[in-house]
Amino acid sequence: MEERKGMAHILAIIPGLAVMIGTLYLLRTFVEPWMKEAVVFGQKGWLVQVLSLNYILLSIIAGIIYRNVFFGGKIPDWAEAGFRTTRLFIKSGVIMLGSLYTLQKLAKVGSIAILLISSFVFGTVFFVLWYGKRVGMDRSMIGVMGASCGVCGVSAAVATSPGVNAKPSEVALAIATILGFGIMTMFISPFIGKALALSDYQFGAWVGTGILNSGQVLATCLAFNPTFAPGTAVAYGEIWNVVRVISIPFVVFIITTWACKAEAAESCSTAGAQMKLSKVFMDRFPIFVLGFFGMTAMSSLGWLGAEGSNTLHLLRDVMSWIFGIGLVGQGAYIDIRELKRAGGKPLRVGLVAGTLKYVVALVVIMLFVSKDASF
Amino acid sequence: MKILLALDDTARAVDEALRLASEKGASLTALFVLDTGWSVYIGSDFLLGSTARSKFLEYTRDDELSQEQASLAAFRRQAEAAGVAFDIKTASGGRIAKEIIMEAAQGYDLLVMAAPFRRGLEVMRDAPSAILKAATCDVLFVRGGE
Repeated sequence: MEERKGMAHILAIIPGLAVMIGTLYLLRTFVEPWMKEAVVFGQKGWLVQVLSLNYILLSIIAGIIYRNVFFGGKIPDWAEAGFRTTRLFIKSGVIMLGSLYTLQKLAKVGSIAILLISSFVFGTVFFVLWYGKRVGMDRSMIGVMGASCGVCGVSAAVATSPGVNAKPSEVALAIATILGFGIMTMFISPFIGKALALSDYQFGAWVGTGILNSGQVLATCLAFNPTFAPGTAVAYGEIWNVVRVISIPFVVFIITTWACKAEAAESCSTAGAQMKLSKVFMDRFPIFVLGFFGMTAMSSLGWLGAEGSNTLHLLRDVMSWIFGIGLVGQGAYIDIRELKRAGGKPLRVGLVAGTLKYVVALVVIMLFVSKDASF
Repeated sequence: MKILLALDDTARAVDEALRLASEKGASLTALFVLDTGWSVYIGSDFLLGSTARSKFLEYTRDDELSQEQASLAAFRRQAEAAGVAFDIKTASGGRIAKEIIMEAAQGYDLLVMAAPFRRGLEVMRDAPSAILKAATCDVLFVRGGE
């Protein structure tokens, strides 16, 4: 698709964006209320309470249906620019999520999040480095899979591959593995969470640690509990997410350094060999995280009003729309046929590492994290 | 007779196209399509900063260009050795299959390509099925093996 400039670009966004907004409107106004009333297996609201088919999961499902059924596997040119704004919506939503905390609350939960995330991120990275070598995967792909299974899925794969000289077509297979695994966990986690009677705190901590892709962490937390407020699953899950996001540059640096120490220099690009942590940090640090902390600072200073204020109420209502619209777009980037073609060693390594992380995280959370929320 | 060869990593497709062109005295055109679909493929990822995103896209573009050079050089060498008259074309697009279909509609009698087709993001897609449905000329799929 050719790049458009100025007003033409804005106009190009409208059709796709209108589809995303219109879809969410229909889901929230008609579909979700109907599902809440529908009697299935003799239980009113079974679809929402048991399957967690609230407007969040419905948004993603609608996006998936658009792409795979109505669009025939490719977002059409008329809608592409609009659907691409999904990134902007989710990013803005994450920044606004910062308003759910105060600095004191972040400090309280942050230390547990840092401990858990560090253990699981680096534990997974080292496991993949070991297991990938054991199954005979080439060093570049071990690096990419280590980063994507360890931290933030797609972003980490993309951030790591130039430094380790990974073949782009293989990176595509790695991304498909991560996304496929993430989608599966996104749909089953709320069900597991409810079956095990996890609290919002435990659930947020679990999926924030165990699910591979950050967007899917948010969606899963909101599927479990669609409320935007302090003490909900999304409020806890996002703290875990932010800690993970911040760790991307460090993971990229460690993996690239590891790849460059290989006897075969093929797995090390020239840029990789000259890599410095400060440079990696500057290039890979997601700036929008500063916006998240900015919102937390404003909340701490009371600039957004007290709990229950109109400002906060409006902000949370806007957040629910922003995430819903963004998630319709996220769904439209999921091509089931592409995911089904994931295979080979990346699939094997991704499934083993992903499942291990997901299950061990659940066990650790159930054993060591109390049901009572810290805030 | 005009034969179009869609280039990927599969050496057997080149061998087969050269053999057919030589046997039938046909003209042979080799087509290499640069995959520009990466920007869309990673389009939904919200965590990537613009620097990391543009570095990756630069990296994929460089990789595509080096594959183009290697692939065309190998084809040229083989075609010259086989004494077959040939022509080379390059195209670029976000969907390689679509570019091949468009070129194949330009009066070719036969399209030769590998199945599975291993170029760029087509490793995730099924180019042979898409081409079989839409091609306006005969198509010969060459098994590339795993």
